[in-house]
Order: sequence, then C-alpha cells, then structure tokens
Amino acid sequence: MNRQIILIGLNHRTAGVDVREKFALTDIENFEKGLMAHCPVHECMALSTCNRVEIVAIANHAPEREVLDSITEYWASICKGSAELLVENIYQYTDLQAVEHLFNVASSLDSMVMGEPQILGQLKDAYRKGVDQGTAKTIVNRLLHKSFSVAKRVRTETAIASSAVSISFAAVELAKKIFGNLEGTRAMLVGAGEMAELAAKHLLQNGVKDVIIANRTLSRAKELADSLGGEPIQIENLPDRLHEVDIIISSTGSPVAVIKAKDVKDVLKRRKNKPMFFIDIAVPRDIDPDVNQLDNVYLYDIDDLKEVVEDNMAQRQEEASKARAVVKVETATFGNWLNSLELQPTIVDLVDNSEEVAQRELAKTLKKIGPVDEKTRKALETLVLSVGRKCLHEPICFLKRRTQEEGSAERFIDLARRMFNLDEEVVPDTAHLDRKSCACAPEDIDKLIDASKNKEQ
Amino acid sequence: MGLFEALHIVIIALYGLGTILFLTGIGTGNSRLKKIAIWLAIVGFTMNTIDLGLVLTRDIEALNAGKFYFNILAWCVLALYFFLWWRLRLEYLAITALPLALLLFVSSLALGGIRIVMPPELTALFFGLHIGSLILTLGVLIMAFGAGLAFIYYNKKLKTKAGLSSIGNDVPSLDKFDTVNKWAVAVGFPVFTLGLFSTFVWYWIAPGKQFTWDVMKIGSLAVWFLFAFLFHQRMVIGWRGRKPAILAIWVFAGMCVSLIHHTITFRAMP
Repeated sequence: MNRQIILIGLNHRTAGVDVREKFALTDIENFEKGLMAHCPVHECMALSTCNRVEIVAIANHAPEREVLDSITEYWASICKGSAELLVENIYQYTDLQAVEHLFNVASSLDSMVMGEPQILGQLKDAYRKGVDQGTAKTIVNRLLHKSFSVAKRVRTETAIASSAVSISFAAVELAKKIFGNLEGTRAMLVGAGEMAELAAKHLLQNGVKDVIIANRTLSRAKELADSLGGEPIQIENLPDRLHEVDIIISSTGSPVAVIKAKDVKDVLKRRKNKPMFFIDIAVPRDIDPDVNQLDNVYLYDIDDLKEVVEDNMAQRQEEASKARAVVKVETATFGNWLNSLELQPTIVDLVDNSEEVAQRELAKTLKKIGPVDEKTRKALETLVLSVGRKCLHEPICFLKRRTQEEGSAERFIDLARRMFNLDEEVVPDTAHLDRKSCACAPEDIDKLIDASKNKEQ
Repeated sequence: MGLFEALHIVIIALYGLGTILFLTGIGTGNSRLKKIAIWLAIVGFTMNTIDLGLVLTRDIEALNAGKFYFNILAWCVLALYFFLWWRLRLEYLAITALPLALLLFVSSLALGGIRIVMPPELTALFFGLHIGSLILTLGVLIMAFGAGLAFIYYNKKLKTKAGLSSIGNDVPSLDKFDTVNKWAVAVGFPVFTLGLFSTFVWYWIAPGKQFTWDVMKIGSLAVWFLFAFLFHQRMVIGWRGRKPAILAIWVFAGMCVSLIHHTITFRAMP
C-alpha cells in the first residue's frame, strides 16, 4: 500500500502572471479525471485561482519521481505549454511537507495578502468538485477536512484575519468608512480588468445595489455585465453617467487620465456634493490625482491601497507566527493519523483501547466488591482482558479481509478508527448540520443498549 | 445629606464614571468598557430625569432659576445622544455627549445664584418658547459639534491615506457624522429662530419691559446669522461633509460664548 501525498503547484511567488495565466486550469473536472486516468495516482484534487494552482494527489504503487513527472507532464500538456517552463515555475512537496503547505494555503498564510478569506472558499469549492467527481477519497477527504478545521482554528485563535486583507477587501472597507452601509450605493467599473472585476464582486457582495460597466469594447462590457449583473455602456458615455454612481473603480490601459478633476467638480454639483469614492488600480493612472483635493471626493490609487493592506500586514506578522505554530502542531497530528492507516497499528490501537476499558471497568468492580486476594484479582483481570480481545476478533478479521482488497484498505481502516474513536477526536455538535444532535455520554449509551435489548425481547 | 444632595452625587458619579470608561474604551479599543459606560449613562440619565421631576413637583418656581436650565441642558444632551444612538447606531458620539453632560450637570450645581424674575403667569410661556427651544438647540449643536470634530478628523485620515488601522474598526462612517450635522441644522435652526425671536414677544408682553439693543442681543443675533448661513448652505445649496462640519463647530462656539455672556449678564442683574 502506497499512500504518499504529493503536492505540485505554482503561485504568485514562484511564477509571474503570464506563466500563471498559461498554466491556469480552466476545466478542473476534466483535469482531475484525466489525472486519474493518465497518472499513477489513487486520489486527486486541483485548485486553480488567479494567484495559484495547487494539485494534490495520492500516489499509487509508483516511485515518487515517476508520479511527480507524470503529473507535471500531464498538466503542461493540458495547458498546451512547455513542461520545462512549468518545471521552472513550480514547487513540489511530498508527505508532511505537502500537508503543511496545504494547511498554510487554507489558513491564508501563503496568500499574496496574508489573512484574506477568499482562499478558503475557493479551496472548499475545489474539494466539492473533487468529491463530486469521485477523485477525492479517504486521504484527500481527511486532508481537506483537516485543512478546513486548521484554517478555522487559525482564524479563531489568532487575529490574522481581523481587518481588511486584500486590495479589493481594502476598497470595500474604505467604502464602508465613507458611506457606512453600502446598501443602495451604485458602482461603476471603468475598464474591465480582472482586479477591478474582483473589487466589483466584493462591493456587490457587500450590498452595492448595481454596477455600470464602462468599457472601450462594448462586447467585453456586456460579457462582464452578464456575470456581475450590471449595465454595460461604452466608455465614451462615461461623463453622462458618472453622477449616478458613488463608487468608481478604474482599470483601463489608457496612457492618459480618463477622469479629470474639473469633470468631477461638475459631477459633484449635479450630485449636490454627495460623496464619491474613486479607486484607481490602473498603471499608468486613469484618474487625475487632483480629484482627491475636492471636498467629498476620496481617491485611492493602487499604491494607496497597497499601503492600506501593508499597514495591516505589518500588524499581522506576529499573528502569522502564532498561526504557523498552529499549522505545525496540526501537521504532526495529521502525520500520526496517516501513519495509523495500516492494519498493524490499527490492531494495536484497538487492543490498547479495549485493554484500557477493561482495566478501568475492573478497577471499578474491585472498588465495589472490596479487597480480594492477588489470585482472584489476576483471574478477574485475565477474564476482562480476554473478553475484550475476543470481542475484537471478528472486527479485526473483517479488517484483515478488506485490506487485502484493492483500493478499500484505507477506507475501512479509517472507518474502524472512527468507529472506535482511536484518534480521540472530538466531534462538535455542529459537525453535521442535517443530523439531529444525540447524546453520547456513557450513561446515555447504556440506556440505549438496555432499551434496544428490551425491545428485542 | 438630603435626598437631593445624594441624588446629585450619584448622577455626577455615574456621568463621570461613564465618561472615563468610554474614553478609556475608545483609547484601548475595548468595546466592553464602552458598553458599561453607556449603561452607566442610561442609569445616570434616569436619575437625572427623576431629579428634574422631583425639582418641579417640589417647587414650580425652580423654573426661574438658572440652575434648572443647566440641569435640563445636561438631560437634553443625553436625550439627543440616545435618540441618535437609536436612529443611527452612533454610540461613538458619547465621546462628546458624556463629558458635556457631566460638565453641564456640575455647572447646574455651581450656578445656583442666578435667578430670572418674571411674572408667574408667563413662566410656562417663557420657559416653553425661549428657554426650552434654546436648550434643544444647544443640545443638537453639542451633537453636531462632536460629529463635526469626528468628521474633520476622520475625513483627514481618509484623504491622507493614513490607513484603516489608524481609523479603527468601531468608528462610524463619515456619512453618519454628516447625517448628525444635517439633522442638527434642519432641527436646530428653526428651533433656535423660534427661541431667539420669542425674546421680542417676551419684551412685548412683559409689563414694564423695554426692548433695547445691547451687546448680548447683538451677539445672539450674530450667532443666528451664522446659523442661518449654515442652514442656507446646507439645505439650499447642498453643502455636505467638511464645510458644514466646520461651520457647525463655529455656530456651537458662538452659542457657548453667547450662553456664558448671558450667564454673566444675568448674574450681574439685581
């Protein structure tokens, strides 16, 4: 049985935007299916965002190098790119290093802007696709569930995500400082860049009523308007519509200013001085910097937004150290679980567990019946240990048979470990939203056993 | 110590403690402290209401004493603060409302010597029209003053890109501060006009009184003109944000000067 965890990926640190664009996975479902068919992997899952691609795979009876090479080659072929170029820009991790990296990604410790919450949602979506495709099985399931709980722990135990965290997030937070509740405000996208689109999405998620998309190419504006639910207009019509909007996000490729201070002055008159928030993420800038001199107008360019973000980043460095410590501990815990996915350690754990229960019950009984001689105590001990072991014979026999079947060993061992709670996991009440909460205290289980037996009789 | 003295000490203690806790809460970013401060202000406000009720039921002549006006002004400031807190969730304005309520309440005890002499049959009219409306105007201007200072401060932070962390998470939006200014101007100016011009009526109906221009009246009229300018610019021209915030601060300052002048003048009266 080979359960080596492989992680191959690229991100904003290892690859430029041109390489990231080239090797982005647009059809994740087919990619995962193809990976299972063409590479020696037993399970897999892929995540592709604008800043990263992560491919998690569980190797299947094959040497590590062969698995890594086959995944890389398949990835390059799907993206119609050169494998050499891809190799130059990727990182490869195996086993616990891969686990730690994924935990860091989920906890947003590896993000361009540390602490940003979007990555966790993206990872959950990617995992859901893997589950739907049937490519995410026992180990990937456990790995991803664990990464979600690690991310949650990091978010609750550290203040890493306490304030504005990404450029678009900073834009939303600044807008809230100006307008308060964003309900009812209107936004305009000038140019249809990816970052502007992301910022517009965030604004819409935070209550902005609608968005006007002004672009030089109307077809692109229409395309974006369809996905965002806005109104497309030609960029030439921008001056006539500017007074209708409160927030303007500009990201055109124009070499000269698209919005000038004197135009905004006139717009302000038409708006009766209602505040306006301009976000200029274009380089060179689209909006005349003098706009910021006007009363009730706030202009932030890309550097200003970065400063806002970095201002928070500096505060988060200390929190990041705490978060990394959490990730380290959780990686070690996951490593323990991974090592236990063999029949032998599971048998040892089952027997240890049964002996512990037997000894505990024996101690209770001895306390009740009072002092007994050594011979009787020994006999009682042998009895309880023997009962415990005998009860395990059938489950162990079942596990032994199942582990000889191709592909089902981990599933049944994992199931047994969970049934007997060998990893001493605490399942929160909210773990299963669609399930009624049930009492699992020893006395409740005793009652359940008695009730079931009485019903049978 | 009598009931009134004990009640006054309790009110001062509650307002004082509320002020300290709220300012500490703002400084340290501790929302628990701020919540406790607000609850102390609510209890203090209730006590203040009881105190005013007791004063009036015991002796209606109290309406003639300057002491009473400062007391009711302190009450009015907090009443308006609670109104804004309810409508705009503007907990933040306690930063000015609480210290000013404390100051006014303490002043009400210190200014016991002032007495306004008037015929008893006109007391209710005088109180209702002149003093009542001026107290309400001062109350809304105190709120506008606090909101104006906050607007100018945070507007500068946003304009100079000082960063989100320097603004703080719990600080309300600029729009909310501006809304306080708008309400203060919309309500304050008509009420102030009523309060100010009721003085002429007062001189007209009060027996043996002759209206003459003096520094006090000219000063009050100057404040009225400033307030009228703010009202016009805000309501007709559509001023928003920094300019009306600055002007509201000036109007409030003018009102304070006028009030102090009134106090001194009344004290000088035989």
